[in-house]
Amino acid sequence: MGKIIVMTSGKGGVGKTTSSAAFATGLALRGFKTVVIDFDVGLRNLDLVMGCERRVVFDFINVINGEAKLNQALIKDKRIDNLYILPTSQTRDKDALTKEGVEKVLNELSKEFDYILCDSPAGIERGALMSLYFADHAIIVTNPEVSSVRDSDRILGVLNSKSRRAERGEEPVTQQLLLTRYDPERVERGEMLKVDDVLEILAIPLLGVIPESQAVLRASNVGMPVILDEHSNAGQAYIDAVGRFLGEDLEHRFVSVPKKGLFSRLLRRTA
Amino acid sequence: MSIFSFFRSAPRPSAVQAKERLQIVMAHERAGRSGPDYLPMLQQELLAVIAKYIDIDQNKVEVKLDRGGDCSTLELNIELPAREAAKALKEAAKAAVGKANGGAAADDDESSDSVKMAAGGALTNGGIKKRR
Repeated sequence: MGKIIVMTSGKGGVGKTTSSAAFATGLALRGFKTVVIDFDVGLRNLDLVMGCERRVVFDFINVINGEAKLNQALIKDKRIDNLYILPTSQTRDKDALTKEGVEKVLNELSKEFDYILCDSPAGIERGALMSLYFADHAIIVTNPEVSSVRDSDRILGVLNSKSRRAERGEEPVTQQLLLTRYDPERVERGEMLKVDDVLEILAIPLLGVIPESQAVLRASNVGMPVILDEHSNAGQAYIDAVGRFLGEDLEHRFVSVPKKGLFSRLLRRTA
Repeated sequence: MSIFSFFRSAPRPSAVQAKERLQIVMAHERAGRSGPDYLPMLQQELLAVIAKYIDIDQNKVEVKLDRGGDCSTLELNIELPAREAAKALKEAAKAAVGKANGGAAADDDESSDSVKMAAGGALTNGGIKKRR
């Protein structure tokens, strides 16, 4: 049985899709058969971030409506074995996501895949609810910024009350924090919330800290998950986060300003 | 522009790639915004035609699409059952439909190959060229 992960945040624009693409790719690189599903019906973007936008034939909603078979809608990644993308519809709306339909697709996927990663839309309406309802694990994507932290807390409340595990009184959905767009220099100047501040407020375990990085925009420009840019800080931070998700004990990197020696001060790195 | 740029093939900046990708995908989306999503219907009708002659498994049908700026390719792969496959020619085991671009599709209209015509016509409707 595959494990269902939801990448969620409440707030928009914090990096859910970037993180979903990176995380799914990271799990597939570790040899797990992984599928990443776009739940943002009507505002499809995972396909662009994954670089498969030209190959979308059928989508998640076609499968739910019985207009196409699941294996016709799944897009196999061209770079990584074991990695598949299930794009969503660009023309329908979130009402197309029925609980029964989503459950049927997830059940079918979980027979074949080790991990099913659900990329949630922003908000706490139908799309977001359907993406988290069946989850075993939740990764909460948060920026060190007041509105994002508050919305993350709100979505944690939803997970604890409206997920299937909550409704059935089962073991709760595991929750981990992925803090993105972290800028240690601004933290040092006192302009940004510290990792510890966010952890204190949200009180969930830390999965990873992804530093603010120019590599993220470069990667999405060309349709490549940023985790494949192994030279970038962001790519390495995602690799570490995937390792931690799989139970490895890894030290958090990129959380403080590196001590600059004379040499690096002369040759200032901009990566 | 420096004279040296003539001799050096600089890698395309990622922002240029971003713009090209967006132009292609959005041209297709805007063109398809009016009217229903034709692909599920196209597939059902094609399969109905094929099923008249061959007993096919709906699960063994693969539809591939590659949207390009000037040329889109629609590919339909149907795995035939072993008994039928033995009867059929080896080439017939893989029925490929497609490679229709906006210009060439018009030429296909008189084609006697009905399957090919269906794909060509559909792609012209959703194609990028018509919009420009």
